[in-house]
Amino acid sequence: MTASSARQINLVGGIITLLTLIIAILWAFPIYWGIVSSLKPENEVVRPYIELWPETLTFEHYIFALTETQIGRWYINSIATAVGATILTISTSMLVGYALSQLRFPLRRPLYWLILASFMVPTQTLIINHFVLVANMGLLNTWAGIILPQLINPVVIIVYKQFFDQVPRDFREAAVMDNAGEFRILFKVYMPMNWGVTTALAIVTFIWSWNSFLWPFLAVTKTEMMTITVGITQVSDAFGVYYASQLAAAVLAGLPVALAYLLFQRRVTQAITLSAGIKG
Amino acid sequence: MAEIILDKVSKSFGSVRVINEVYLTIQSGEFVVFLGPSGSGKSTLLRMIAGLETIDDGRLLIGGKESQTLPPGQRNVAMVFQNYALYPHMTVRDNMAFGLRNIKMAAPEVERRVQDAARMLEMDALLDRRPSELSGGQRQRVAIGRAIVKEPAAFLFDEPLSNLDAALRVRTRVELAELHQRMNSTMIYVTHDQTEAMTMSDRIVILNDCRIEQIGTPMEVYTRPASRFVAGFIGSPSMNFLKGSYKDGAMTLLDGSRIAARVAVPEADTYELGIRPEAVKVCEGEGDTKGQVKVVEHLGERTLVHVHLSDGSAIVAQDGGRSQVQPGDEVALRFDISELHLFDSSGKAWHAE
Repeated sequence: MTASSARQINLVGGIITLLTLIIAILWAFPIYWGIVSSLKPENEVVRPYIELWPETLTFEHYIFALTETQIGRWYINSIATAVGATILTISTSMLVGYALSQLRFPLRRPLYWLILASFMVPTQTLIINHFVLVANMGLLNTWAGIILPQLINPVVIIVYKQFFDQVPRDFREAAVMDNAGEFRILFKVYMPMNWGVTTALAIVTFIWSWNSFLWPFLAVTKTEMMTITVGITQVSDAFGVYYASQLAAAVLAGLPVALAYLLFQRRVTQAITLSAGIKG
Repeated sequence: MAEIILDKVSKSFGSVRVINEVYLTIQSGEFVVFLGPSGSGKSTLLRMIAGLETIDDGRLLIGGKESQTLPPGQRNVAMVFQNYALYPHMTVRDNMAFGLRNIKMAAPEVERRVQDAARMLEMDALLDRRPSELSGGQRQRVAIGRAIVKEPAAFLFDEPLSNLDAALRVRTRVELAELHQRMNSTMIYVTHDQTEAMTMSDRIVILNDCRIEQIGTPMEVYTRPASRFVAGFIGSPSMNFLKGSYKDGAMTLLDGSRIAARVAVPEADTYELGIRPEAVKVCEGEGDTKGQVKVVEHLGERTLVHVHLSDGSAIVAQDGGRSQVQPGDEVALRFDISELHLFDSSGKAWHAE
């Protein structure tokens, strides 16, 4: 490599690094701004110029959010519905993915295409149907009502199918020769060979469910049944919106997901890469 | 240990016939090798016995029991896969015990069988390791152990040595033969390697083009091949084939030389002469024919001499280990006419008396 070409590569590398840095700042700034604003008194937040650091540092909004709202209840609702949705989504999708990948039955392919095609339908178009259905079932304002429509998650099925497809056929045949039934093949051979993808999918499903807003917002009208994302909208009173308080509640809402992300960073990245090609 | 009978067994994939009306009886305790080139249907036939492929037509009897419709687990056969198919997340012990636990065998009995198999295969020390911590040869043993613990009526091997290096392959071959003698169980072994077939088997089933070409002991298929295919497939270097015309008990080759052939064949057909390299000797003075040496291969105990006859046809002859023959030499060749074969236009073989 000549000196000039080395310099050229360094230059390109430098430009890329700089671009990445700029994008990272652009991306991170709203989060920073949200956190900083939640630490300002309300009158400082609405000032028309940009202040990167609070003049008066205050935790009153956090104290307000933690003491004056039902945030504890909302946390419980969010955890219950997100955990419930995750467990149910993973267990059902795993079975469907296995069946599509390993079993031979009539209409298997059309069924797979149907699941693929369900991507084309945005949740928003179904939301009225969901609402009517859940209302008729008497499940509004319940955890079950929040969870049920969230279980429609073709991505998880497809990722499972793809992973099961990649397990060499010999393993299945060896297990069949070993007298294992389909459930034993799934739980004793295929699942243990794919723990990585299961944890990754569980984490993203949990995050999707935790962050979901539109459906829980419609399915719940009682304050004590709200999930935390919906609860944030309640941090206001008859006199208008309190930005700082809402931001404090939002920061508290995002905290568990941020922690989960930091703990399982590698797995989450893996899951996002896995579903990136699929998730519409 | 059980007798296995295939009775007019057929199989198609879509419109393609892959096994065509196969009849075969494997005696109890016999070591049978299915030998054939890729695509001959040998693996499919084995998988049909195992139950991994369905049998479209015909009957399969394992130990006298009709088994063609039974699921694989209930046929009382165990299979060793080419890639071993050891469950990577289980220890060696769990790999071997998996099949037994699936039929809810009592834990002490499972442990006893695992221990016995481990002792037999000399891998007691490996029981708590995972497959990723084992060498290729050790994995092979675990795969065999997994079959042994089931105490099956028959063992099915699908090219089990093809993933091992040459030295290990030779050793494992001997071990497998020993294992067969010790356990005296029925074994069916699929391979495309004729050395494995010749060295290990009681009988070889040679498959070609979806059907059985010949069934016989290793020496039978070697000395009295049933067809031109078998004659060419068995033996390394392979048999020499020379075109010519047959008349009055002699074969006239294209270079004009006449080879006396004491073979009782109908005269109307056209024939090809077949003779193994060890039956063609480089000789002093007048031979049956002569030609020019192209290549000399010294193998130590013998020497292979590749000769072109005057009409251009190639023939491999054998000479002693200390052969002085050089490429370019003109040599005379003598045929051992007791080892001649003639092949008619349909490929059927006729042997010298």
